[in-house]
Amino acid sequence: MSALTLLARKEAGELVLSPRGLGWLLAVSVALSSFGLLLVGSKELSLLDNAQVVYDMLGIATALGALLAVASGVDAIAGERERGSLLPLLLAPLSRNALLLGKMGGQVAAWAMMLAIALPYLWSVGSTGQNLLGGSMALLLLGTPVVAGFGLLAMGLGTRLGSARATLMLCAIVLLVSASPLILDPSLRRSAIGVAFDAVNPFSAALNAYDSVVIDGQGALAQGWHALVAALWFSATAAFAASGIRGLRR
Amino acid sequence: MNLHHFAVFAGLLVGMQTQTAAAQAVVAPLVPATLQIALSPEPGNAARPKMGDNLIYRSVIRNTGATPVHGVVAWLGLVQVDPGREQPVDLEDWSAHKAITAPVLAPGEAVTTTWPMRLIAAGTYRVVISAAGGTGALQPSNFVDLVVAQKPVVEQGRVLPVAIGVPMLLGGALLLRRRA
Repeated sequence: MSALTLLARKEAGELVLSPRGLGWLLAVSVALSSFGLLLVGSKELSLLDNAQVVYDMLGIATALGALLAVASGVDAIAGERERGSLLPLLLAPLSRNALLLGKMGGQVAAWAMMLAIALPYLWSVGSTGQNLLGGSMALLLLGTPVVAGFGLLAMGLGTRLGSARATLMLCAIVLLVSASPLILDPSLRRSAIGVAFDAVNPFSAALNAYDSVVIDGQGALAQGWHALVAALWFSATAAFAASGIRGLRR
Repeated sequence: MNLHHFAVFAGLLVGMQTQTAAAQAVVAPLVPATLQIALSPEPGNAARPKMGDNLIYRSVIRNTGATPVHGVVAWLGLVQVDPGREQPVDLEDWSAHKAITAPVLAPGEAVTTTWPMRLIAAGTYRVVISAAGGTGALQPSNFVDLVVAQKPVVEQGRVLPVAIGVPMLLGGALLLRRRA
């Protein structure tokens, strides 16, 4: 087994099977459950259209996934450095790109678990099944690069800032701003600033794709512009993380 | 019997008692103050309303009598009229604007009120405004019929098992892992 595979398996095991990883996934499921219970407990929310609720659930799953990716991305480099385990890792017979890919393996596994957890929730709120499959596909195709990008951003910042706390704070702010369309009134997003922000914001790209697929009934594979924004975000953050990891000194 | 039915029934009783008392002590002919109520849906209302839509109704309460009417109170009523499901509707979730009052309504004077309503459940309904004032009998408006179409919404029976079951499964896995 190669060093890269070993690292990826170790990271995935820590994020998915360790008590800490399971605790995170439990917290994610509690958040999704809270939203589900809110929907059936509030008369106002219970009258929302099925498609609208599925769209909201997709957005929440993406936000939680990005949060999980940020936490694991911060831990992957800045956390290792603070624990004193980064230096042994840099001395291992592993190229810097392989180190990045190995660390990403854990995040991808955590996101896969997150998707698996989100699916029953999507089924539960989408009683008519309206565009449920398309929405799940959009979550996989658009949500994955957006979420992975946040993990890569956290790793890239972790290599440069040194402090896990500072990295976490900065990433949390970026995520909060990026995910703001989730809570902003749609009318605010139609202003000139809102439109410009939407055009470059990867989180907005994912949300707009969910909207097109679930509410407007378009195909998940027909989200070209949104997919391009998500892919650009992933590429930029991957390059940022890769250059950061290459710059780490033993 | 809900408040509205009780009020209609009580209003009829009060009217009968007032007339009896008046008949017993007739000195001069009583000219009752008359409230006339017209109820209509707003033009902007959805043509085919469905669950969750917001509708607005407009009522005009006019004193068509020759004397002022004191202490006018008017309220919104909603009755479901689907065959086999006839029932008065509790307006708790449907409308926060359930009643208006006017201290006095001079002869010829009118009060115009808008009544917003959120459509909570599918079915066939009749909307009515009732008003009472002074010692006059209870006065209902014309009925406005309303058909609320069904809309796919969240089903409690699907959400609860998932919302409770998934965290329990993960919590169980976490406990097992910690013990291991």
